[in-house]
Amino acid sequence: MTTSTTPARRTGAGRHTLARYLVRRAGTSVILLLGVVLVTFLLTVLVPGDPVRAALGEGASSNPATVAAYEEKYGLNKSVPERFVLYLGNLLQGDLGTSITTGRPVVDDLAKAVPATGEVAFYAIILSLAVAIVLGTLAAYRRGKATDQVVRVVSLVGLSIPTFWMAILAYNFFFLELGWVRGSGRLSPTITPPPRVTGFHTIDFLLNGDSVGFFDAVSHLALPVFVLSLFTIALLTRFIRTSVLEVLDADYARAARAKGLSGPRVVFGYVLRGAALPILTMVGIAFGTLLSGTVLVEAVFAWPGLGTYAYNAAKGLDLLAVTGVGLVVGVIYLVINLVIDILYGALDPRVRLS
Amino acid sequence: MARPHTRAAAALVAVSALALAGCSGGNSANTDADGGDSASGTLVVDTAFSLETGDPGRNYVPTGNMVLHAVYDTLLTLEGDDTTPQPALATMEQNDDATEFTFTLDEDRVFSDGSPVTADDVVFSLERVAGMTDSKANFLMAGITVEKVDDATVVLKTEKPSLQLPAIVTNPSLSILNAEEVEANGGATDTADAAQTFLDGASAGSGPYLLDSLDLTTQVVLVENPEYNGPTPAAYDKIVVRNVTESATQLINLKGGDSHIAVDLNGDQVEGLGDGFTVDSVPSAETIFLLINQNAEVGPATASPKFAEAVRYALDYDKILELAGAGAEQATGVIPPMFAGALADGADQDLDRAQAALAESGYAGETVKLQFPNDNPVGGVEFTPVAERVQDQLKAAGINVELAPAPFATEIDPYVNGTEAFSMWYWGPDYADSSSFLPFGPGEKVGLRAGWDAAASADIAALVDAARNATSVEERTEAFRAYATAMQQSGPFVPLIVPGNNIAADDTVSGLTYNPTWTLDLTALSPTQ
Repeated sequence: MTTSTTPARRTGAGRHTLARYLVRRAGTSVILLLGVVLVTFLLTVLVPGDPVRAALGEGASSNPATVAAYEEKYGLNKSVPERFVLYLGNLLQGDLGTSITTGRPVVDDLAKAVPATGEVAFYAIILSLAVAIVLGTLAAYRRGKATDQVVRVVSLVGLSIPTFWMAILAYNFFFLELGWVRGSGRLSPTITPPPRVTGFHTIDFLLNGDSVGFFDAVSHLALPVFVLSLFTIALLTRFIRTSVLEVLDADYARAARAKGLSGPRVVFGYVLRGAALPILTMVGIAFGTLLSGTVLVEAVFAWPGLGTYAYNAAKGLDLLAVTGVGLVVGVIYLVINLVIDILYGALDPRVRLS
Repeated sequence: MARPHTRAAAALVAVSALALAGCSGGNSANTDADGGDSASGTLVVDTAFSLETGDPGRNYVPTGNMVLHAVYDTLLTLEGDDTTPQPALATMEQNDDATEFTFTLDEDRVFSDGSPVTADDVVFSLERVAGMTDSKANFLMAGITVEKVDDATVVLKTEKPSLQLPAIVTNPSLSILNAEEVEANGGATDTADAAQTFLDGASAGSGPYLLDSLDLTTQVVLVENPEYNGPTPAAYDKIVVRNVTESATQLINLKGGDSHIAVDLNGDQVEGLGDGFTVDSVPSAETIFLLINQNAEVGPATASPKFAEAVRYALDYDKILELAGAGAEQATGVIPPMFAGALADGADQDLDRAQAALAESGYAGETVKLQFPNDNPVGGVEFTPVAERVQDQLKAAGINVELAPAPFATEIDPYVNGTEAFSMWYWGPDYADSSSFLPFGPGEKVGLRAGWDAAASADIAALVDAARNATSVEERTEAFRAYATAMQQSGPFVPLIVPGNNIAADDTVSGLTYNPTWTLDLTALSPTQ
């Protein structure tokens, strides 16, 4: 593997191949994205129910003037094809329309929700990966022994525990009983949010030189990250264990051990490198799941993220908001897949040549 | 050996820099990061947001009412849990026909910029809502005209008697705004109005608090209005109203000291709070009821009034109430207990009468589908277990029921369009007045959803008119009672539960009172002495 990668990197032909590969993948992503937009939009209009009535409530929906004004304002007086063409046209200009429940541009709403979820998911995937590599590798090395059995049982439990229940339990225990973390939300009520740079409070507080805000943000992040990580740790641990087991049986790993290399050198120099590609795929999928599947955890911790926004949008038949969320989730998955494919291509020249 | 030392040194530098930087950051080191406490003058309230704007004229949702009631004054107001309108910015007199209502302003009152509240401000504020047909609150001004008499006097006129008008003007949507300031920021009395953006970030009212910041997804921050000169000055320097959708989280926050008040706890949760907390547990203004469609095309089995009678007397209301928790009561009729005309007693189970009525109804054992929203608990009452209990009880009485739950957003259409034969829904008042329950009458909004037109019950339709057009309070109360009684005897609705409203606070807060319009009166809250 090493011998085939090195020459390709050194030649202009190799770089050219990689560039073509990237362009091809990016083009495929754009087509997929259009498909996501179409499917999401159609799904929202197929859902039974009247979004205007859902938004206006009992009293106002009895007022024909208000109903007409709302239908016109949100373009709901147009046919579905007209609305879709209009939506696509606006989309090209970066306009995802106006939310019928918040009355604000969907782009603005998403610009607040996505970083909130992104921050939790980012730290959760880092934590998950760090723990899972240790546990998964340890279990693989101790295959069949007590350590392996414990890790497998624990990871099975981690996969089985309902996230919502665990969130309530963890909040009750670590906040109420032990007082180790602060309350719900992204920040305490008395903390002023930092000037927005990245949207990640922890980073923005650091950039603003605000240690009080930083530690408050960390304290609020701790539990959501912990709860979200449990499932991902379990998932990745099991996967890493399997991947490492496969590599452990490979000739080059055996050869490394036969040469007398130390355990850690074999693990980091050969085994984990060999198992990196499939693990990379699984990490990408897990990260996408974290980003798009945080509804219940966000509800428990009053976290104003994408999950909360998506839930409220769906509940209120907020079609453009739902489509916007669908688009974001689609983009996230496409970007993750693109990055993984690029890394695959970079790590393994056989991929980009195929 | 050098590399570990280098890393340690770098880490030390980073941590030191961070600690030093904290002194110059946005939040000072002595900021109360535990959520504030009464000593700092900050009150934290957790509630599940239904918040759309800081513009009173465009607001018509519960959390909006709660917040804006503290920032803006209305002509009249409600005190505590009393539903009788009281003077606020003005006193009121009405003519004998109850068609002209004269409001005389308290000329001493000022807005947050120090300018006086005048008749021009009242006319602008009310005409703005009347002219903004794209506002949810627009319907409140239907049939009402506003005239300025002099700088301190305004007359509101209606074509028909409207004893509900005093209740209508207590709604925060009809708050009085600083006309000059709002007009300077895009305000207008028609659909050209563009003041919402301004009002989402600033206050133009005369209430005890100012809008400091408004985030529709996380929190609203109110601060004391230094110019306030009304009867209930701000008791807190700052009030933070946070969006916490899960009642379980609200409970943990309250118990853990992260908040001072939890607004949306259910009956079971408040019962376990214990010492150190105050709970205001009262019946709400909502009613959960069964709808029995009288249109034979929609519900062949349900269309007979005798079928409705059979259902009414087949149910064991005490057993159903067990599912509702603290504060809830059996619904005695279509009007909840806090409003004039409400009945003292509800229906009682009478299986013999139910059997007799069922036999007369022509019901032949067919299965009737019970439709209801299953994702929208009201006052902590989940509809699914209530529907299951109704199903069991009706089965025992010989009526076969199939449950047909669906999400609110999809179920609302057939309900509103009157295509549900048998369903379970809820109703709350548009404003704190008995007239908000007249839509259950024949030919009225909810009546028509039950396939019940005016011709189907001319007697009750006449009672609706009598209640609506009454010109004295006594006459009106009696008319509402007669209407509620007749509805209980022969209407196509079976009121089940008035869910409880459970607001809990730690013992640092006093003044906790439920109000049907703004749920919790933030202006009435103060630190416990």
